Amino acid sequence: MTIQQVLFIVIALAVLGAAIFVVTTRNLFRAALMMIAAFFGIAGLFVLLDAGLFAVAQVLIYIGAISILVIFAVMLTRGMQGMVPRNSQATAAAVTVAVVFAVLLLLFGPLRLTLDLARWPVISLFAANVSPRDVGGIEWTPPGQAIPAVPDTYIADFGRSLVDLNQYLLPFLLIAFLVDVVLAGAIFIARQRRPAEIVEDRQRQAEEETEEAEAMRRAGVLPGAASLPEGAVASASDH
Amino acid sequence: MNVINDLLKIIGDFIAGIINSIFSFSPFLADVVTMGLAAVILCTFAALSFMGLTYVERKVVARIQDRVGPNQAGPLGLLQPLADGIKMFTKEDTTPAAADRWVYNLAPLVIAVFALTTYAVLPFAPGVVGTNLNVGVFYIIAIGSGSIVAIIMAGWGSNNKYALLGAFRTVAQLVGYEVPMLLNVLPVVMIAGSMGLTDIITQQTTLNGNPGIPFIVFFPLSALVFLISGIAETARSPFDLLEAESEIVAGFHVEYSGMKFALFFLGEYVNALAVAFVFSTLFLGGYAGPVLPPYIWLLLKAAAVFFVFMWLRGTLPRIRVDQMHNMNWKFLVPVSIVHLVVVMALMKLFVTNPAQVQANGGILVTPGVQAAILFTASIAILIGSLVIAARRARIMRLQEEAVLEQRRAENIAAVSV
Repeated sequence: MTIQQVLFIVIALAVLGAAIFVVTTRNLFRAALMMIAAFFGIAGLFVLLDAGLFAVAQVLIYIGAISILVIFAVMLTRGMQGMVPRNSQATAAAVTVAVVFAVLLLLFGPLRLTLDLARWPVISLFAANVSPRDVGGIEWTPPGQAIPAVPDTYIADFGRSLVDLNQYLLPFLLIAFLVDVVLAGAIFIARQRRPAEIVEDRQRQAEEETEEAEAMRRAGVLPGAASLPEGAVASASDH
Repeated sequence: MNVINDLLKIIGDFIAGIINSIFSFSPFLADVVTMGLAAVILCTFAALSFMGLTYVERKVVARIQDRVGPNQAGPLGLLQPLADGIKMFTKEDTTPAAADRWVYNLAPLVIAVFALTTYAVLPFAPGVVGTNLNVGVFYIIAIGSGSIVAIIMAGWGSNNKYALLGAFRTVAQLVGYEVPMLLNVLPVVMIAGSMGLTDIITQQTTLNGNPGIPFIVFFPLSALVFLISGIAETARSPFDLLEAESEIVAGFHVEYSGMKFALFFLGEYVNALAVAFVFSTLFLGGYAGPVLPPYIWLLLKAAAVFFVFMWLRGTLPRIRVDQMHNMNWKFLVPVSIVHLVVVMALMKLFVTNPAQVQANGGILVTPGVQAAILFTASIAILIGSLVIAARRARIMRLQEEAVLEQRRAENIAAVSV
């Protein structure tokens, strides 16, 4: 076993342990922290693959942004302090994830797992003597054979592949468009409303409430509104 | 080979040679030991400079505010950091009863680790660098975002509402100011054509036909915004919202005492010094400079930048939390984006590389002319944005005054009726 393989096994075990802790612990906050640990381990795997750019991006995006978002969302949930009720759909979720993962693995590569790191999908894009057809697959290299080195220009190659029509221009543009839409939507939701709009909103809300009350009365939930004053209908519909 | 200029490299090679001969049976083990030793030296350097900086900062701020500063421990108070250190070591190490023990105790370690790992990629002299990462700039920013996790851990683990509120505040600040920081590193990366710090410094020297102009001349606006967001990232005055005792006591580290508090303190200073180093590397040419040896140049530049930090701390009042967020999202980020787009267009239009002109078109200029054009554009955007902001602020102020005036008139009318 080479040093890389030992390191890979150590990091992989750490990631797996952290991931298992995430799904088994009852403390949501600790689960989020262990998820960060798992992300960090994955960054370590990228370093093992000679992919510094992806390792750093992993730290910046998954640890610096997504995890923080998750922690904030978790902190806003109830039951954060004490025991969290057991998720009754945990088994179903686990089975779904396992099936989807297996299908993806079958679709994008033969199920021949190996520890030959340089031929793994993302990195093999940049490895010198790997033909494009090998990209999706995981190939077996006999032990002792030299692992092809990642060229120094892989960042530039990666950047060019994003703007190359024959490679990833379309997915890149689609993602950019999606991000733009999300940004615009977030700004639209969070923007400061003009007074006229606020009045409009309130009117619409009031109308909806009266309609609801009307519907409920017709369905026989509420007694006839004739004897009730206006406010009583509105407050009754709140329940 | 000039002995004084390459002093650090010669010492390093000497030590590496000794280690290699001791571990001659296994080159891998020799590498591990050499790297470990380098890491220890870098961390010691950072920790020692933390001790020195606390003293210098207190003296400088005292002088600015017409005080004397520490003067009791040793001559000129020089032993003050030592006294502080002994105090920190001997203080009782407390843990709140309801704290999440693991998270609470890990947080100071995590923050110190993230602060110290920044130094792994800083080049101190030609060939003297922990590891010459080709994504150095990206790495520094990513590691900086890692300390956010530690702050949340501290705030949550303490089980104290002030700590949690402080953590929320700090996280909002750090996440927000990361955006202008990143946006203003981009022009430097684009003109240098690399994210490696060594390459960026080489581009600012006179080697290989480079003009030897520091990037602050190309992008003064980027340098300014980077400095501001750097200060905000390290939560130093005037962005030290956590120090507001009347509001949230001391923020996320309110429950920490003794050595754990010292680790937070160390993280803060080490981060600030790292920002000073990164600023000098990105915008002031790093270790490049005439006559003096490279490492002296780097230390001088970093010291100058850090002096600006102390100067601001000594003179500026603390800003409010809404002012802080408004300044970031409504001023720094839009200005940075406009600047980035303009600079990108200009760099495509005025090209210094003849091969690029043949491939993509554009006007061939000398690096000096390119610098002049970019400098003018940068300054123009800075002045323009300041004018727009000032006008906008004036309008808002007038509106507020009008509302107040109206209310006053109504009050008078009500009283007289």
